[in-house]
Amino acid sequence: MALASHRHISSCLCSIHSSLCYSTRPEMERSSLQRQLANLKKSLFDQGNLDEQFDQLEELQDDASPNFVEEVVTLFFRDSSRLVANIEQAIEKSPRDYGSLDALVHQLKDSASSIGAAKMMKECTVFREYCDKRNLEGCLRSFQKVKKEHSTLRLKLENYFQLLRQVGPAEKATRSGN
Amino acid sequence: MDPAPTSSGKATASSSTGTPVAAAAAGIPTEFPAGLRVLLVDDDATCLKIIDMMLRKCHYDVTTCSCAATALSMLRKRKGWFDLVLSDVYMPDMDGFKLLERIGLEMDLPVIMMSSDDHKDVVMKGVTHGAVDYLIKPVRIEPLKNIWQHVVRKKRFELRELEHSGSLEESEREDERHKRAMEEGDNATSGCAEHSKNIKRKKEAKEEDEQDVDEQADPSQTKKPRVVWSSELHQQFVTAVNQLGIDKAVPKKILELMKVAGLTRENVASHLQKYRLYLRRLSVPQHQDRLDGHFTSAQEATFRSVGTVDGFDLQALAVSGQLLPQNLSALSSGSRRVTNTGLRMPVFDEMGFLNSGNASCTSPASVQQMNRGLSYFSGYSNSSDSRQLGQSHQLVEPYGNMCLQVGEEISGLLNLPSPQTTRSSLPGGISNEQVNRSLIMQMSQQGPQFSLSQQHENFHGQPFPRGQIFNVIGGHDSRLSSKFGHQMSPNDISSHISGRTANIAQTPLPGNQISASYSSVPQALYANNIHDSCLTESAASHYPLASSIGDTPATGNLEALSNTSSLKGVTDLSNCNMYSELRQNKTQDWKLETVTISYQSGQNLAPKQNKADFGSSLLANQDSIAAVQDESSGNTCTVRKENLSVTTEIEDDKIERVAQCNSTINSIRLKSESMPDIKHQEVLYDNIISNDLMDVGKQQQEGIIGQDDPEFFDAYSLENISM
Repeated sequence: MALASHRHISSCLCSIHSSLCYSTRPEMERSSLQRQLANLKKSLFDQGNLDEQFDQLEELQDDASPNFVEEVVTLFFRDSSRLVANIEQAIEKSPRDYGSLDALVHQLKDSASSIGAAKMMKECTVFREYCDKRNLEGCLRSFQKVKKEHSTLRLKLENYFQLLRQVGPAEKATRSGN
Repeated sequence: MDPAPTSSGKATASSSTGTPVAAAAAGIPTEFPAGLRVLLVDDDATCLKIIDMMLRKCHYDVTTCSCAATALSMLRKRKGWFDLVLSDVYMPDMDGFKLLERIGLEMDLPVIMMSSDDHKDVVMKGVTHGAVDYLIKPVRIEPLKNIWQHVVRKKRFELRELEHSGSLEESEREDERHKRAMEEGDNATSGCAEHSKNIKRKKEAKEEDEQDVDEQADPSQTKKPRVVWSSELHQQFVTAVNQLGIDKAVPKKILELMKVAGLTRENVASHLQKYRLYLRRLSVPQHQDRLDGHFTSAQEATFRSVGTVDGFDLQALAVSGQLLPQNLSALSSGSRRVTNTGLRMPVFDEMGFLNSGNASCTSPASVQQMNRGLSYFSGYSNSSDSRQLGQSHQLVEPYGNMCLQVGEEISGLLNLPSPQTTRSSLPGGISNEQVNRSLIMQMSQQGPQFSLSQQHENFHGQPFPRGQIFNVIGGHDSRLSSKFGHQMSPNDISSHISGRTANIAQTPLPGNQISASYSSVPQALYANNIHDSCLTESAASHYPLASSIGDTPATGNLEALSNTSSLKGVTDLSNCNMYSELRQNKTQDWKLETVTISYQSGQNLAPKQNKADFGSSLLANQDSIAAVQDESSGNTCTVRKENLSVTTEIEDDKIERVAQCNSTINSIRLKSESMPDIKHQEVLYDNIISNDLMDVGKQQQEGIIGQDDPEFFDAYSLENISM
């Protein structure tokens, strides 16, 4: 948060400075993009969609693997969508088979935890608990939540990476410039 | 993402750390723990990628694998290549804990488990299965930076052991080597692997040639290459342990008993540790399955007795080659199981004789006795001959027949429906009934063991229902389970065999089931119909198969058997021969335990269901048994697999055997020579399983296992195969 605001301030200063010194459009846009990016990330954290594990991922990213985080997230959504579909199928076909349902949810939870999808993890845990108690109603309800969080997160992260791509190279330049 | 077994890490990490110079040039640290060779196993692609990246950030040499089976085969192919294994707990193809066990037993590598599941019992499971650490997902990079400590710790432990048994000089040399290795920096693990166990790996590295020389100069004791616990070796180990008694077994004594050149005390110590863990783990579920707890106590008694009380160390005998393989299995199963299941078939009178007072039946005489006993039933004059392992073949054949007949007879005796096999006459001319009776008498003396039999109502209210007989048999290690094997009707036998090792002791059927001899014997007796009922009762551990045997015609039995996990070959009693496998399993105890468990599960499963599965599985591995427990539906499968693996593990012998079995269902070819190391289970259901199955199993075995060292507990090998 502090960082975001700091960036915000610095970007504001930068933009002011730029405006004072022939600020160029792209820079202004960039800074506004950066601001957007920062805000988006902040909201993801604040709302609990992501946790510090995501930061860990970003730290892992380096010059050798510049798109590491995006690759991982893409991979995650590819696999998790499949898992969600499987769970849906399992619920439809054999809803009483809590054992296999639990196994599927467990997989989903593991995956989600690896990218720091906190809310999804929590919903999966709840889902598993209902499975343990063999509470079909509860299972269905929590599964809906899982699905919802899954699509929300996906949307938000797509935005995030889009922004990142736009800001990315510029960000580096501005950073070094500043 | 990376396909299943890939060396993603290797591509980059290894190349950069290929040589110290190159690594240094690239600015990558060259000293340990950099270059630590880690095998990462996780079915989730996202986790795999992330942890792979993290590990590479730690400058480790990472190989990723998304399939446990592949990981295992990779570990086997490149023995000594990896230093550490990181594995997920929940994987679709194989339970992470099973993988953990496997690795620990076969490769003795430190394994770290990972999971987002942080429940205490799951973590505890990791501990009991021998994991060196348990990481909660999401895994952060910090704990990964420290995983090298487990490698060092292990090496230090081994080194300390080395120092104890070896000379100081050697340890000093090891230190030198260690330093040298450290400096080289190339093989980080070698640095920590001064222990002789890593010699193999060291040999791979050029800079360690001199080390090898040093090591060779040292007493063979301490400079042995990494010890691979082959089935034979393990068999010897188990024999020794049984002789001493699981409680009293100390590495030093075990080492003395084993008399294996080049084996060090620390090798034995670490192996014993694992074995104990394994047993402990087995004993827990087993009891659950026991019918009235009789089995459990019986089993325990058996265990004790197996190794010590009766002194008839079947395994030792088997190992020494005196005892016919089949007899061994029969005996071992019989002796062990007897106590447990008490269901032993009363068939073998002789068994009782043999066992009685036979403290250590390593004497040829006793063996002879046993063999004779075996032949007694079968009426074979060549029993004495059969005594020799080499002759098991001959013996097997007759026994096979005998078994069939006996089985029938026995079933008659027990008022069981006669086995489906239509054998009508007992070649040996021994009326099973008579035999059974006599056996029963003997058995009755056994007391506690009978509990099982009594439990079985099916026994027709006989006081000594099989159990007694079995007791007699089981009670004494020397009991010729094989004897039973003969006697037991093929059905029984098969059931015995299938009954798995646990109860298998019984089924000694020389040819047939020997392996199953464990408790399966009792079951076998009941095979015909009882087995269903009996199974539940007696089987507690192994019979499930047995019961199945009786009931349904070959297929039925087999299935049932297979389900029970041990009895794979039971399907066709006439195939009693199948059990030739002998129970080599390492320790009867194991078998017992495993069998029990498996049976239980097997029983629950529809007897017929896994026919196919069992076919392939020859031996009921203990593992399989365990696996069986895990999931009812999977029981049979697991069992099967294990058996297959077991058989395959045994290597050529087994495979051969399998082949034989396949070819002649009715003739149990016991390869007496090769006391197959029934790794886990004594029961080798070679014959039991239909030829097809056997073939499959065989193929699998050859394909999968053949190449590597025999691995006991290779329950998963089968799985790999099937996968």
